[in-house]
Amino acid sequence: MNSPANNRSEQMEIDASARWPVLVFFGSALLWLLLGGVMQLAAAMQLHQPGLLAADEWTTHGRLAPAAQNALVYGWGMNAAFAFGLWLMARLSATTLRHGGWLFVAAKFWNLGVTLGVLGILGGYSTSFELLEMPRFVSLILLAAYALIGVWAVTTFSIRNTENVYASQWYLFGAAFWFPWLYAIAQVMLFKAPVRGVLQPVVNAWYAHGLYNLWFVPVALTAAYYFLPKILGKPVANYYLAPLAFWWLAITSAFAGGSRLIGAPVPVWIPTLGIAANMLVVVAVVIIGLNLFGTLAGRQAEARNSLTLRFIIISLVSFVLAAVMNLALSMRGFAATVQFTVFDGLRDWLTFYACFSTAMFGAAYFMLPRLTGREWRSPALIKAHFGATALGVGLMIAGLTYAGWIQGKLLNDAAVPFAEITKAMAPWFAYRTVVLGLLLLGHVAFLINFLGMACPFNFAKVPDALFRAPPDLSPEAHAPVGHSLKGVGP
Amino acid sequence: MKNGLALFLGVFATLALSWAGLLLTAHRQIGGLSQFKDPADDTLHPQPLSGLADQGRLVYQDLGCVTCHTQQVRHEGFGSDLARKWGERGSYARDYIRDQTVLLGQNRLGPDLRNVGARLGDARPEEYAEWFYKLLYAPQSVAAGTNMPAHAFLFDVHPVAGRQPSAHALALPSKFAPGSGLEVVPTARAVALVAYLQSLKDTYDYPIERSRNTPAPKKAGH
Repeated sequence: MNSPANNRSEQMEIDASARWPVLVFFGSALLWLLLGGVMQLAAAMQLHQPGLLAADEWTTHGRLAPAAQNALVYGWGMNAAFAFGLWLMARLSATTLRHGGWLFVAAKFWNLGVTLGVLGILGGYSTSFELLEMPRFVSLILLAAYALIGVWAVTTFSIRNTENVYASQWYLFGAAFWFPWLYAIAQVMLFKAPVRGVLQPVVNAWYAHGLYNLWFVPVALTAAYYFLPKILGKPVANYYLAPLAFWWLAITSAFAGGSRLIGAPVPVWIPTLGIAANMLVVVAVVIIGLNLFGTLAGRQAEARNSLTLRFIIISLVSFVLAAVMNLALSMRGFAATVQFTVFDGLRDWLTFYACFSTAMFGAAYFMLPRLTGREWRSPALIKAHFGATALGVGLMIAGLTYAGWIQGKLLNDAAVPFAEITKAMAPWFAYRTVVLGLLLLGHVAFLINFLGMACPFNFAKVPDALFRAPPDLSPEAHAPVGHSLKGVGP
Repeated sequence: MKNGLALFLGVFATLALSWAGLLLTAHRQIGGLSQFKDPADDTLHPQPLSGLADQGRLVYQDLGCVTCHTQQVRHEGFGSDLARKWGERGSYARDYIRDQTVLLGQNRLGPDLRNVGARLGDARPEEYAEWFYKLLYAPQSVAAGTNMPAHAFLFDVHPVAGRQPSAHALALPSKFAPGSGLEVVPTARAVALVAYLQSLKDTYDYPIERSRNTPAPKKAGH
């Protein structure tokens, strides 16, 4: 049973089996990315234009902002992770994705759940718990839909035709279980049989940190562990350390949620445990850095030529930065200043957008041409998307770090009246709006390009739009590397 | 790692450990916190919310106030919450057992609200309620320079003509009033929300928590 997908026709068969489920999930993801982005942009504008959309209850800032976040996390993030995860699980397990029809049902129900959830928040049924704002009944729809999707990923893994289990598969496998457990436990402990008092924020922090670091981060790392060695055609450096990094990251991240409650009225061991966990996470980040940046070392020129790898590199750098930021927010002195400022929000944005979403963009540029058998249509749109993302991520990190520091300094100076803080922050709120607008333009370019490629009536033969010279993007170039690549191996 | 079962067990153990270690342990420690009976006058603290205030809590949740407001006062030595007069003391876990849903919040785009009900100064409660109504209807009328959005949808605006003016109508400065012959009356949701906001005050100091949270006196010579 040694890697039959080594030959290219098998791999194409696997891609063909995954084609429609992946396109449906990814198509819905992109629609949510755009819709959530528009809502996020409007919510960001409201902070410096308080009159905007304030007349209607449905679009007041307190509802619009969480609705946007939920649309992005559960609509874009989860759908994109499903699309990428199912495809890669099939490829790495060297088996086709069977009975994909059920995945359509799952996709329908998942998107129905997210739609009802977002409308529920806008309509006034929000629970106000971070990332769990959707009305209670929606959680049942989401869990049922997820059950179908998760079972597919795990089943595909368990009927694998490969001897080795590659790093990307551990992360996908772990994430596939962690999300439903986190979600179900949070639902039970907050709504079904609610815990009392400040235990609620503890559960909420545990869930929010878990969702970002045990679902979105693993999926982003899956992509990095897959594409770097594959496109560069060399094994992962120091691969023997990768299992250690996986377990270390999982255990420490699972305990790090308490660090979100520094200074909160909870028993002090809870944030302290989180702080210790955030410090320990560094070990895993260093190993993953050794693995992935080590693979990259000496091949920077080739990596620059691959659009996918460009996105993956942004994702990896953001992964490291997010760990640094978690660590910084664990320092009590620093946290005392920047807690509750825009910097606090930047941490999660960095994990969700700069680390996870960029990895999905990179994966999409690799995966979609192989699934549809067509190339991207417009190089200008590709460049616009990449340029907007790279610039936007950089501007957001630099700008909001500084703005958060200023905001925290002002908040901690009791002599400064609150209206002064709002006045001082107004330009930064506008700055954030501009950056979010820039990112949204990139998403629009991406969506147009996606539609041009995926549209079934689009038979006109146009020259392939490639980011750079073909070798890095054509399937033929990678066929010999294929699935024989398992990081290292004797 | 080749063994799927070992991988599954490890993945399971990871989360189970953090669930038991973090959530269950915390639940064992403070899940049973009860009201404190003041030995001097036999009163129980924290006192439960009134029915109207509890309805207001639901309005607070549905409007997403937590997006911009925290409800936690950080202790002395960690931030300047006390200097900003957001409370007379830092918040304790026991303060929150009266709340059905506890929304500590993560953002201070607006001020902390944990003790907003205790900030009335010399005003009578009715006057303070009027202040909240004005804040909700036209934030700029009482808090110049704020970026809080108006919540005019929590109010009924209707003509006075032909009927007796409402006793609850807001006395707005002409700049913010909807026009002559119209009056602005809070709806039931606004009344509940303001009752909730006015109920937010942790003024009782618990002797056990106070002794535990007071920093040890600094030794001279250091």
